Amino acid sequence: MAKQVKKAVKVKKSLEEKIFLVVVYVVLTLFTICALYPFLYVLAVSFSSSRAVGAGEVVLWPVEFNVEAYNQLLLDGQIFASMKNTILLTVVGTFLNLVTTTLAAYSLSKRNLRGRKIFVGMIVFTMLFSGGMIPNFVLIKSLKLMNTYTGLWLMGLISTYNLIVMKTFFEGVPESLSEAAAIDGANEPTILCRVILPVSKPVIATMVLFYAVGWWNNYFNPMLYLSSTTKFPMMVKLKQMLDTAKMIEVSSSEGLVQTTVAAETFKAASIMVVTLPIICVYPFLQKYFVKGAMIGSVKG
Amino acid sequence: MMKNISKKGNKRPLIKDIRRDKWLYIFLTPIMAYFVIFKYLPMLGTIMAFQNFKFSTGFFESEWVGLEHFKRLFTGKNFYMILRNTLLLNAGSVLFGFPVPIILAIFLNEVKSRTFKKVTQSIMYLPHFMSWVVLGGILIGLLSPSSGIINHILKNVFGIQPIYFMGSRFWWPITFIISGIWQGAGWGTIIYLAAITGIDPQLYEAARIDGAGKLKQIRYVTLPCLKSTIVVMLILRMGSMMDVGFEQVYVMMNPAVRDVSEVISTYVYRVGIEGAQYSYTTAIGLFQSAVSCILVYTTNRISKKVNGEGLW
Repeated sequence: MAKQVKKAVKVKKSLEEKIFLVVVYVVLTLFTICALYPFLYVLAVSFSSSRAVGAGEVVLWPVEFNVEAYNQLLLDGQIFASMKNTILLTVVGTFLNLVTTTLAAYSLSKRNLRGRKIFVGMIVFTMLFSGGMIPNFVLIKSLKLMNTYTGLWLMGLISTYNLIVMKTFFEGVPESLSEAAAIDGANEPTILCRVILPVSKPVIATMVLFYAVGWWNNYFNPMLYLSSTTKFPMMVKLKQMLDTAKMIEVSSSEGLVQTTVAAETFKAASIMVVTLPIICVYPFLQKYFVKGAMIGSVKG
Repeated sequence: MMKNISKKGNKRPLIKDIRRDKWLYIFLTPIMAYFVIFKYLPMLGTIMAFQNFKFSTGFFESEWVGLEHFKRLFTGKNFYMILRNTLLLNAGSVLFGFPVPIILAIFLNEVKSRTFKKVTQSIMYLPHFMSWVVLGGILIGLLSPSSGIINHILKNVFGIQPIYFMGSRFWWPITFIISGIWQGAGWGTIIYLAAITGIDPQLYEAARIDGAGKLKQIRYVTLPCLKSTIVVMLILRMGSMMDVGFEQVYVMMNPAVRDVSEVISTYVYRVGIEGAQYSYTTAIGLFQSAVSCILVYTTNRISKKVNGEGLW
């Protein structure tokens, strides 16, 4: 009731504001639907019969529900084999990222560290300039790291952006905390593990997520540096499978039409399998992502 | 490790500090070594743009050819194609894509319902966490002329012949730009939302007392307060005008649209890695970096003159 009275006072503005609010909600709703719909469509296709997909009957819900495409994926087994590789790459990679980024960020967050400016300058400079694709490739090849996970882990060891985010966070931790521990005779590794890390859980969560998603989605580096198919992570495998399906489509003659459309549900199912883990954890972890982006943007 | 530490302590007053922070230097030594080897060495490696680099002869023994590769680059017609595509795709993305997160952020800020806001934001951010391989796969399925739902709707509802979104030289760039907005615009709102939250509520109060409606408040309070954020984002965006994300193009590309979709990064990959022309493509990379620098510098200068503010 009180709200209505307030509104009545502002009769003049209310029309303009109402129209504006309608526009706001309509635009946001439309954008959200457009952003979400493609995912729902793929989900529906993956559970539909290939006939229904070919006839354009699948719009939002599965038509002639079946799990044939997923059965086929299980039989094929490649995507699950490559998922193991991705998990290995992600777990080890994220762990290495975390250790190195924390050590670097913690050291560089100490304002009275001699040479700090030079180190930070050297690191930030790599955000602006890089050798580029070919010199990196030549380096990895010269170090004999081609077709090894070690090469991939080293290539992605530290993201400068994440390092800056973490450094900014550490700079905000009250110095009195570590000073108190130092007076008690604790050395830096102890202070870092016992005092700083326990109060840094949110930023660590953010880092784990940023890095883990990066490894999970990593396509370019594995494609560039790995050559044996048994080592391929999921995204490289998925791209291969999508390309094969595309080729069938391009060369489709009368007899192949059935396979073409079957390929469509197969493709959708493989996309779902690859994406599902992210979609499952995403709603719970979203706030950490946003927090990380905020810390980063304040600095930027 | 210890050697490294003492080397930095050649000035006497420093020694105490260095002894005090010895653990920090122990932490930093391998990390700085990493940066030198994996970031700075490749930068030095761009020198091979002036060589005929071969793995068999190595970096030090390869033949020097001066500006040969640059000459070949600037006289070849491929160069103008990839340069044009890179710039056009980027220009399109900036023109249509850059304002989207700003508008979305301003709109989101007007939303009173917390649930609505949360749900829209969560969904908007989602594509940002997907690999381009996945997004590309979804798009190709969605837009397929034979089985994709979009073309079915166009045919059945509007009676339009199937459109080859991925295979037409006209539609491919449009699809590319829109998919870029799909992937990045939602996530891009975060930085503007953070800036909007930082605006002093008293400014709105004052505007309201002066009789400004919602639209005028946005026009005269929100936008001016966002200006510096927008300028910084624009300058940063200019820095990547020469760089179209490899993965996005690579997953959406097909032979039918090569002459509108081949950009610098995909060309470097195809000719440099697959064709083993390391020096020639390093020259392209070097040219790309040089132009990016000039672009950032120039935008910064212009922004300083027009707005009185820039990145530095």
